Amino acid sequence: MKSISLYSDNGTWLCRVHPFTKVMYAVAAISVPLILGSLWAFAAAIIADLALLASGKVLRRARALIVFSFTIIATIFIVRSLFGQEGSEIMFSIGPVNVYREGFMIALRTGLNILSMLLAFAVLVLTTNPQDLSTEMERHGFSPRFSYVISSVFNIIPQMMGTMSTISDAQRSRGMETEGSLITRMKAFIPLITPVVTSSLITTRERAMALDARGFGAKIKRTYPETREKHRGDTAATVILALIVVLSILIKAALWLS
Amino acid sequence: MSAKDVFRTRFDAASIVLIPACIGINYIGKLFASVLKLPLWLDSIGTCIGACLGGPVIGGICGAANNLIYGLTTGDSITLVYALTSLFIGFFVGIMARTGFMKSFPRALVTACVAGAVAIVISTPLNIIFWAGTTGNVWGDAAFAATQAMGMPLVLSSLVDEIIVDIPDKIITLIIVFVILKALPEKLTALYDASDKVERL
Repeated sequence: MKSISLYSDNGTWLCRVHPFTKVMYAVAAISVPLILGSLWAFAAAIIADLALLASGKVLRRARALIVFSFTIIATIFIVRSLFGQEGSEIMFSIGPVNVYREGFMIALRTGLNILSMLLAFAVLVLTTNPQDLSTEMERHGFSPRFSYVISSVFNIIPQMMGTMSTISDAQRSRGMETEGSLITRMKAFIPLITPVVTSSLITTRERAMALDARGFGAKIKRTYPETREKHRGDTAATVILALIVVLSILIKAALWLS
Repeated sequence: MSAKDVFRTRFDAASIVLIPACIGINYIGKLFASVLKLPLWLDSIGTCIGACLGGPVIGGICGAANNLIYGLTTGDSITLVYALTSLFIGFFVGIMARTGFMKSFPRALVTACVAGAVAIVISTPLNIIFWAGTTGNVWGDAAFAATQAMGMPLVLSSLVDEIIVDIPDKIITLIIVFVILKALPEKLTALYDASDKVERL
């Protein structure tokens, strides 16, 4: 079964770093440029992301992740910089098309923000096992129900995809059309989705009973079968990243007050 | 049903199991919509089902958890931003369902309009802050560009962009939810009945 998670262990140091450190990195890499608001901060964050991705040997897979965002960024550029408001400054013209400076700068900022967000999350997502993250959260005081929800999503989705392809085949073999005009495709949606949804809801009843029988609602402290080996410098890195965020808030506050 | 019953939530195994199932349904809905190349998102079917069965609190959790889990695991940080929208859609659909607005088809349409309105109110500021006012949907963004060229203020254009995308999306979503809920067996829906009382001897 195909997993929806993008994680695969390639044995680099980035995969062994504690999940919380990577969460902290993502928070810092996204929030610092947003707080400072300068284009240079965005550039610095993007360069840091790219360097980490390269040293974790996941740059190639990150590329696949950000490619789809280019259409969105392109849309923002077209919509914002070509359809400027009346009276805004024209930066340059390509033939009959005017590019407005204000819109262009907004689009540039938004585009850089999207890229920086995607890359910072790529660092976390491509090198962290979701199961690992939820176990660690549970161990640090999050509710076990919460980590059940996370790990269960990863089991349920491949299962539902299996049901989905079975039902698509079954409906198609009965002559249902899934291609053609918009109306035809709309009409195909309900007979496809209803059986998948109904069957997955019906199985929740059995799953709930199975969980209850295994003490899911028990209120005693839980034990864990495996322990994580500590990676060097996790605490130091987390503290430094937190300090950078605090520092950028202070810089912004100082600039704002002066 | 009293106000207390509307928000009553049980965090028993049945409700917790409902959350991942609903997140899976959201995913399947989105996948079918893209396989069939529909110009809609249809990614809140699960959230609405969770809200109708488990009530506003479970609905809100389904919505927020859905976007957070996808955002954090598949790297699609665009959905992450809309966790707030999903949370409120789940919450308000839950309230509507508990107050009887999913019992008949015309009432379900009222719920759809409420869900659409919630989505518009929450998403428009998010669109403006993060994507400079666009939604990423072809039809909506075409309207955005057209209204911008006409000289409409950014907030209004972004609002038009959202309305064009969200109202049809939520109406179709809630129609599907209504059809599915009618098809569910009673032994399942009885698990989530908010007005039941445990009688003791």
